Amino acid sequence: MILLMVLLAVIGGCLLSIQATVNGRLGSQVGVLKTAFLTFSIGAMITVLLILFFEQPHDVTLMEVPKWRLLGAFCGVPYILIMIFAVQRIGTAVATVAVIFGQLTMSMLIDNFGWLGNNVMPFSWPRVLAVVCLAIALYFIYASNRAETASN
Amino acid sequence: MKLLLILMVIAGGMGLSVEAGLLGPLGVAVGDLWATLSIFGVGAILTFLLMLFFSPRETPSFFQQPGWTLTGGILGVGYVVILTITAPKIGIAMMMISVLAGQVGKSLLIDHFGWLGVERRPVNKQRMIALVFICIALALIAGGQA
Repeated sequence: MILLMVLLAVIGGCLLSIQATVNGRLGSQVGVLKTAFLTFSIGAMITVLLILFFEQPHDVTLMEVPKWRLLGAFCGVPYILIMIFAVQRIGTAVATVAVIFGQLTMSMLIDNFGWLGNNVMPFSWPRVLAVVCLAIALYFIYASNRAETASN
Repeated sequence: MKLLLILMVIAGGMGLSVEAGLLGPLGVAVGDLWATLSIFGVGAILTFLLMLFFSPRETPSFFQQPGWTLTGGILGVGYVVILTITAPKIGIAMMMISVLAGQVGKSLLIDHFGWLGVERRPVNKQRMIALVFICIALALIAGGQA
C-alpha cells in the first residue's frame, strides 16, 4: 500500500516536471501571469467535469469546513509570484535549492506535530539520515544547475 | 538583499508544503476532487486578478500558440489529485520526497531526449547522483515508517 502511494506520488512529480517544461515554454511567449491563469482556469474546468461525473456524495461540503482549510491556493499562488521575482535575481540553482529546503523543513514540521489536522509522524533517526541524503542531493542539483547557467 | 530573496523563496517552498498539508485532510472531509477544486477555483480567481492588473500588455494570444503548450492545467489536475490522495496515507515528507524523485527523474529524461521542444542535453552525472541520493532518502523514510 505504502509502495503504491509512493509510486503514485513519483508519477505526480513526473507530471509536475512535464508541466514546468510546458508552462516554461508558454510563459516565454505570452508571459508568466497569463500562463498561471490559464493553468488554474483549465484546472478548475477539468476538476468540475470530474466532480460532476465521478465524485461520490460526502457528508461535509466545502462550504461547511472551517474557512482556513480553504486557504491552500493562497499558499500556492504566492509561490509562483516569488519565483518569477526571485529567479531572475538569484538564479535557478539557488532558487531550486531554497524551494526544496523550504518544502522539506515545513513538511517535516507538519508531520512531526500533526499540524493542519494531519497524522503525527514523529521525527526519527531514519528521517535525520534522509535529510542528510537530501542535502547531498540538493548540492548536486545546485552544482548541475550552476554548470548549466555558466555554459549558457 | 540577496539573503532576503532566498528567505522569500524558502517561505514560498514552505507555502507549497502547507498547501499539501491543507489538501490531505480537506480531501478526507469533502472528497478528493472537491479539495482539488478549492485549489484550482480559488487559484483561477487569484491569478485572473493578477493577470488583469499586472500582466504586460500586448502579449501574443493563447490561440497563436501550439495547442499542446496549453495543457499545463490538465497536468496540474493530475498532480493535485495525487497530492490529495497520497498525503494523508504516507505523510507530507515522504510525499514531497517522492514528488522530488519524480521531478528530478523526469527532467533528466526530458533533457536527455529533448522532449517537449527542449534543447537536447545528454544526462548529466551530477543530477544522476542527486536522483540516487533522493531514492536513498525515500527508502530511509519508508523503512522508518514500516
